[in-house]
Amino acid sequence: MTDPIKIYIPKETSACSVGSDFIAEKINLLTQEHKHISIVRNGSWGAFWLEPFVEIEINGKRTGSSYINKDISQLSSIEEFLDDFNKSKPFNILETEFIKQQTRLVFSRIGLHDPLDLDEYFNSGGYKGLEKSFEIGQQKTIDEIKKSGLNGRGGAAFPTAIKMQTVFDQEAKTKYVACNADEGDGGTFSDRLIMECDPYSLIEGMTIAAYGVGASHGYIYLRSEYPLAKYFLTEAIQILKSKNLLGKDILGKKFTFDIELRIGAGSYVCGEETAMMESIEGKRGLVRSKPPLPAIKGLFNKPTLINNVITLASLSAILMQGKDIFSQFGSGKSVGTMPFQLCGNIKQGGLIEVPFGITLNEMIYDFGAGTLNDKPVHAVQIGGPLGIYLPVHLFNTPLTVESLIDLKGSLGHGGVIVFDDSTNMTLQAKFAMDFCQKESCGKCTPCRIGSVRGVELIDKIYNGTAVKEDRILLEELCETMETTSLCAMGGMTPNPVRSIMKYFPNEMTN
Amino acid sequence: MFTAWTEALKNGHQTIDNFKLSIKQIIQPFVTVKGGLIPALHKVQKEFGFLNKESIKTLAKSFNISDAEVIDVITYYDDFKLEKQGKYIIKVCQAEACQSLGCRELWDTLRSHFQLEQDETSKDYLVTLKEVFCLGNCALSPSVMINKDVIGKANPEKILAYLSTRQNNSKND
Repeated sequence: MTDPIKIYIPKETSACSVGSDFIAEKINLLTQEHKHISIVRNGSWGAFWLEPFVEIEINGKRTGSSYINKDISQLSSIEEFLDDFNKSKPFNILETEFIKQQTRLVFSRIGLHDPLDLDEYFNSGGYKGLEKSFEIGQQKTIDEIKKSGLNGRGGAAFPTAIKMQTVFDQEAKTKYVACNADEGDGGTFSDRLIMECDPYSLIEGMTIAAYGVGASHGYIYLRSEYPLAKYFLTEAIQILKSKNLLGKDILGKKFTFDIELRIGAGSYVCGEETAMMESIEGKRGLVRSKPPLPAIKGLFNKPTLINNVITLASLSAILMQGKDIFSQFGSGKSVGTMPFQLCGNIKQGGLIEVPFGITLNEMIYDFGAGTLNDKPVHAVQIGGPLGIYLPVHLFNTPLTVESLIDLKGSLGHGGVIVFDDSTNMTLQAKFAMDFCQKESCGKCTPCRIGSVRGVELIDKIYNGTAVKEDRILLEELCETMETTSLCAMGGMTPNPVRSIMKYFPNEMTN
Repeated sequence: MFTAWTEALKNGHQTIDNFKLSIKQIIQPFVTVKGGLIPALHKVQKEFGFLNKESIKTLAKSFNISDAEVIDVITYYDDFKLEKQGKYIIKVCQAEACQSLGCRELWDTLRSHFQLEQDETSKDYLVTLKEVFCLGNCALSPSVMINKDVIGKANPEKILAYLSTRQNNSKND
């Protein structure tokens, strides 16, 4: 009798973008006659430079090998494939420095299994969080989250429990939970990874949040650029409905909760919570003035809890394992772990979940192994298109919510983009304004017009036609946009521009 | 603006009335959904490739709003199209992570190869070229999305090879 063999081939956007679907098709063909071999389409481990990363489990031992730049189309039998695999020095990914140096609390399941395998989800503590929440009741659920110290991971780092308490305290028959899955920041993909590799944890987290605040209907607002995440969420919602984990009387309790998946239509601003609500309501994604806060008057004028994907997925982990798993790390606004997304010009890019306080040097060299093209690192942009560019001499700053605010920036959604020394920083500054010009919702003038003027001014600097007054004008423009824009789009677009003027002054030339 | 709508009529919709009827059926499930206009627009566009004058009129009537209000929503969102699009919609990421590995050059090369500018469609309706900002594949930059497939570590050769494989497969079908 031959030992059963499991071959894991990831089904996740990044892995598929470098050919994992093709490998799966080929192996599927080769294993037609081999009943002892099964193929599992798992999620990705988030170590993207290894993708497509194929693993084989035999006798409980699981090892993997990178199939990047490897052509398997000529293989004629599965024996040949296995032979080739064994010769490639396969290793256990859990023993790599990249994974070993991480503290994966929210991303503890990614890569392990078929993301839609509900039994595996249960086996790894799935729905223990919701059970706990049901056991302790609504207020204590919110208290537990408060004690964990969790702040929103979407970008604004607002205390999650305060939002929940506000929604809970509203006297209203109808309340909503809305998950912001419009992950539009350049250089971020952590929400996508959760949705593609562990969708149940997001849905369980949403269910906990809904129970906590007393909502019976939820929305996931997913950007249209993520078709694979749409597939996984659609399937996951279907499966959970069929198992009574969504819908009426969840886990036998008198609690009803449904989730509707809404797909965006290519607008960056719809990731701003009030614009997102407009879009869910079927309108143009124009930003609303605040107050009223969404927690008091949100979707369809009802109290609405709006959280980012990672924030909601964190609730499952916190309720399952207790508040301490988060509160043991960090202080202030930077409590728990943060999923950083290391990308751009980097050898080993991917998902890095670690406690706050890691430095850019540690991230770039200990995790990332330097730039992809071996050129010196010149700058890092942190926190998406509204985030600041940092020069090498600040790479020892511990990354926390507070330290980035001190640097007049924002940790945002945790994107870290590495640039080498061939980067033209003036063009990067221009792009910040250009992006704002293209994505502004147009409601307020400083954002709509200011960004156009910003592009023009930086263009002058780039072309060498700027006079001294133009630089002063650019600084004044930044101040106007910052202080008078309706939302963070116009208000924070000056951040990258100013950081380049401050830290790369000699490069802000033609 | 709506010059290409007659194209849809060729696809088995013999008369305008028939066309309106089939759109009505498509959007029916969304009419009672709160905020159902955007899902309805997605569905109509998926079926017909773009949103023409007749579909706008039908949507307006079904949702009990004016034509202008439907157009108001359509024109806000990048994904919604008033013109027929190419068989392959090539979205080239131009966001920061991809910039760090040369997406601007990739964009220039593809523009000159296809002789298309931003958001233009080739005359044979084979290719639409678009710049987009972030496909969420930032650790394997630069990224390009063709219809629903993301191509990581993209270069012009990879894009053209992908297109020719697809074209050959669709000819053999």
